[in-house]
Amino acid sequence: MWVVAVAGVVVALGTALFFLSRERRASARVDGMVSRLGGEVLEPSGSLSSAIDRLGRAADRAGIRETDTVASADRLAAALDALAQGVVIADPSGRVVFRNVQASTFVGARHGDALVEQAVAELLASGCRGVSDRRTVDLFGPPRRTIMVAVAPLEENGQIIGALGSVDDMTERTRLEAVRTDFVANISHELKTPVGALALLAETLNAEDDEDVRQRLSERLVHEAHRVGRTIDDLLELSRIEVERSPVREPVAVHLVIAEAVDRVRQSADLRRIKVEVSEPSSRLTVVGERRQLVSAIGNLLDNAIKYSDEDATIAVSTSTDGRTVDISIADQGIGIPERDLERIFERFYRVDRARSRETGGTGLGLAIVRHVATNHGGEVRVQSQEGEGSTFTLTIPAGPGPVGITTTAEAG
Amino acid sequence: MIEQRKAFHHQLDEVRDDIVVVAAMVIEVLPRGTETLLSGDLNAADEIIRGDDVIDLRSVDIEDRCFHLLALQQPMASDLRAIITAIKLVGEIERSGDLVVNICKAARRLYGRSFDPKLRGLISRMSTEAQQLFRRALDAYVEGDAALAAALDDMDDILDQLHDDLIQAIFESHSSGRLDLQAAVQLAVIARFYERIGDHAVNIAERVHYMVTGGHPVIRTGPEDESSGAEPDVEGATQGFSQES
Repeated sequence: MWVVAVAGVVVALGTALFFLSRERRASARVDGMVSRLGGEVLEPSGSLSSAIDRLGRAADRAGIRETDTVASADRLAAALDALAQGVVIADPSGRVVFRNVQASTFVGARHGDALVEQAVAELLASGCRGVSDRRTVDLFGPPRRTIMVAVAPLEENGQIIGALGSVDDMTERTRLEAVRTDFVANISHELKTPVGALALLAETLNAEDDEDVRQRLSERLVHEAHRVGRTIDDLLELSRIEVERSPVREPVAVHLVIAEAVDRVRQSADLRRIKVEVSEPSSRLTVVGERRQLVSAIGNLLDNAIKYSDEDATIAVSTSTDGRTVDISIADQGIGIPERDLERIFERFYRVDRARSRETGGTGLGLAIVRHVATNHGGEVRVQSQEGEGSTFTLTIPAGPGPVGITTTAEAG
Repeated sequence: MIEQRKAFHHQLDEVRDDIVVVAAMVIEVLPRGTETLLSGDLNAADEIIRGDDVIDLRSVDIEDRCFHLLALQQPMASDLRAIITAIKLVGEIERSGDLVVNICKAARRLYGRSFDPKLRGLISRMSTEAQQLFRRALDAYVEGDAALAAALDDMDDILDQLHDDLIQAIFESHSSGRLDLQAAVQLAVIARFYERIGDHAVNIAERVHYMVTGGHPVIRTGPEDESSGAEPDVEGATQGFSQES
């Protein structure tokens, strides 16, 4: 009888022990998960339910950390997007794993983008070999661009974990640099050459006895002196216009300004039998500005049109308005301007063809004056040109108090 | 199996991207060549002539990869057409790059001469137009735009007209004594180079049309055929000329 009882107790104990050790094993596994999630197991109590509680808390904390990580990654991505540069990040195999908004398109043209992309890929590959490098990609365009691509390897504990590429648009910087260096070189040339010539001519004249030669030398002297005079006049005019950033603003009748400018160039036009045709606007337009500056600007444009036209040619001056601004266009059928020079002709002393422009007696400042007048008036000057077909310069100036009133007075008169 | 297909399509994409890069190189070098010609910059001419080797090498590499894909993957239908088109396109692009080199070589022979503004204007317009055609052809290829591809032939008419105008202007310039015979012939050949680049762009577009639709755009018949039949002669003469350098 007691044998049966003892056997029963042993079985019960065995079963209890069996379940107890199973629970312990299970709770140990749960604790393993807790520590995998980054939670801490301080005193491993064997109870399964407390282990499950710990797991729940650890999961919650891991969830919060995960949210934090995602948020900070998002913040980093947004920060990179806010950069003006294009940023491309590659993994150690050179495969791109991140690019910011600026790096999605570089120059806005498929072929240009393809070439920049190619340079980026090549540099990233060398970055992944631990080499920092940079390269300038000059795109002829259109659009014309200078892009700088630089790459640096990303390292952690002496191991390369990827590469960082940055893409910079250097177009404007390169352009300004060229304008500055050219200006310094040109101004010394434009002033020193004729002054040097003057000194040389005067010296030779001094030592010369032959009357014919003296005559010729003095003619040259006068010619060179006039050239320096013109350059200085134009420089003074330009700096005067620059100083008068906000000129006297008064309504100016466009047709009177044009008439005055045409008068100024009449002689040189007649000399080469060039006709200046002014098409009268249907209504008399006015602009707000300073009359003298406007005459100077239009005069310079007409002067150029005459210089670069063949004899017997016609130059057309026309005006139009959209109500807010007045366009004054001067169109010639002259030699035109090469495309590559179009964006630079408004710079001081910039010359398309040095030999020819000096022949015609230009100072190289005319168009710079025109552009300054336009910006001073809150307007702009545009050019459209085709070599061999001619150029059209359009000066846009804010419109005056309205053509209506003037039309009525004109009709009344 | 699916993994293999994935790798295959990845390789196809790479071929396409690389074709875009060589085409971009030609599009980029074309206005440079024109600038070289108009400004008489011999250094730039040499640089472009040397730079063409890169285009050639890349073209050969793309072609090789296409042959591998054909042999190893035995693609069908649109995949097959994509690879065949790639092989054809590479030839057209590479030849266009050579034509730019020819322009630069002609620029070297014309060194020191100046031409009438009218001639210069027409040359730069031909260059712009040819580049425009090439850009459109590339757009059609990347976007798989059959309609754009089919329209390119008509756009080429503008370039053909400019070619005729330039030849006419060369005659006028020569007969008025402002252009000697040698320079006139060189310029006429150059005009032809630009016109050919436009033709290559049209060929690319036709290939793209085939790739997308599986059919060719309607082939012109009638009098057009006769003129194109006469073309090989002129082309042969042109090439003979360019090889003289």
